[in-house]
Amino acid sequence: MQIAFENVSYTYGKGTPFAKEALSLVNLSIPSGAFVGIIGRTGSGKSTLIQHLNGLLKPTAGIVRVGEWTISPDTKVPVDLRQHVGLVFQYPEHQLFEETVAKDVAFGPLNFGLPREVAMQRVREALEIVGLSYEEMKERSPFHLSGGQMRRVAIAGILAMQPRVLVLDEPTAGLDPAGRREILDNIYRIHREQELTTLLVTHSMEEAARYADLLVVMADGRIAMQGPPAAVFAEADRLRALSLDVPAAVSLVASLNRCLPPERQLPASLYREEDVRAYLANRLKRGEEARR
Amino acid sequence: MNFVQNVAIGQYVPGDSFVHRLDPRSKLLFVVFFALLVFLANNPLTYAILLLFLAIAVAASQIPASFLVNGLKPVWFILLFTVLLHLLMTKGGTVLFRWGWLSIEEEGVRQAIYVSLRLGLLVLGGSLLTLTTSPIDLTDGMERLFSPLKRVGVPVHEIALMLSIALRFIPTLLEETDKIMKAQMARGADLETGHMLKRAKNIIPVVIPLFISAFRRAEELALAMEARGYRGGEGRTRLRQLAFSWRDGVLAGLAVVMVLLLGWWRS
Repeated sequence: MQIAFENVSYTYGKGTPFAKEALSLVNLSIPSGAFVGIIGRTGSGKSTLIQHLNGLLKPTAGIVRVGEWTISPDTKVPVDLRQHVGLVFQYPEHQLFEETVAKDVAFGPLNFGLPREVAMQRVREALEIVGLSYEEMKERSPFHLSGGQMRRVAIAGILAMQPRVLVLDEPTAGLDPAGRREILDNIYRIHREQELTTLLVTHSMEEAARYADLLVVMADGRIAMQGPPAAVFAEADRLRALSLDVPAAVSLVASLNRCLPPERQLPASLYREEDVRAYLANRLKRGEEARR
Repeated sequence: MNFVQNVAIGQYVPGDSFVHRLDPRSKLLFVVFFALLVFLANNPLTYAILLLFLAIAVAASQIPASFLVNGLKPVWFILLFTVLLHLLMTKGGTVLFRWGWLSIEEEGVRQAIYVSLRLGLLVLGGSLLTLTTSPIDLTDGMERLFSPLKRVGVPVHEIALMLSIALRFIPTLLEETDKIMKAQMARGADLETGHMLKRAKNIIPVVIPLFISAFRRAEELALAMEARGYRGGEGRTRLRQLAFSWRDGVLAGLAVVMVLLLGWWRS
């Protein structure tokens, strides 16, 4: 689904002495099917931004469009919007509450009025997507799982709603590297398979580089930069000024380029670790062949 | 939309005003004293004195009036209820209005006004205390005021610590509640409509995670305190010593003046 923010501002505690503007005049357009990485330091408005997508927050000014839905300051939030925009909060395992994993994952689908059999089918599918076995998990208490498993169950709880837009707020915070990779690879796979529009809030430039085809950089409630990853990472100085960094692969390419003569520079389109690795291996091989 | 907002209990507004800089002990004592004074008032003049004093105190505290009005919100219903009760039930004086067996009489109106004023003054006085005193100062003050009770075996330090931790965690838990509510609403939970019973049932997905997180936080806090060498109040020194200043003298003077005025003019 296509998403658009038009001059969206949001102020917390409007009308009290604690009023704080968290978003100011945000304009953003996300094509359907995009994988968007949202980056920015803590307090830059990322979480506020994503809560507008399913109407948990309504803009204090401006309009948010998600597919055919419109959220403006005075409209009532459409009921079915939340089913189609799945929002995974930070540390989603803190929202688990049911006796069994199956019941917890089924909470969303049942809330949206699906019949029990359909909901259970979705629970099975969602658990498989996050790499858990339905048969093994369904009867277990969500509170007796490991941290990583709890996180997966919680994410499955959103996936079981089969949203068209998937929004994830730092889904890998506090997990080990292997777990991070697996969860994001799974999410990326269903993003492709089901043609979802996915927004990933992350502090990790590597994650952003690896999965996103569009980057949004937030700073002080505004969009500081946006564009394809290669273009955003090309402005390393601006990112550093915003207390952000570029992925290690981009730094490596930049360092290599400083040592290489102009005609042998590495292309700036290299920002994914795999791409850099493949490119360098290829080039070294060619160099060896030429020497022979 | 933030779901839990405008909770004035324990809401401290930082500042540097005269009222903020009073010693918490004198503020605490004065609020108790003020509550007693409110019951001395029994005619327009004495209520006017109390209201005037409160107005001066609010002005001196530099707290926006809207905050104090917010503080009245939780008691609106009680206020309304007592006013109605007095209007209809208290008899005496000329009859102002009669409809069937219902009648509103002069004495009822007077009592309704006095009782609502009394309640309002009490609540506003209390809110002014919590709005201008940080929770830490407040519990420090209480600990000091009640420290003589230690001799008879009352665990004053522990109670004060419990109180300050509880106060400290109100905003944290509210924030947590807000987060969990949002997370469950994102999963289609309906927390805002339905009748009482349905709502009570719908709140379960919020309450259970909230309890779990409260226990987790408590455990983490206990560990963190022990890791920093906390082992009870015995022999513990203080970072900030409480000290009376000339401001507290002014307050004490005001207290005396008010007793004299009220004693003189009450009927």
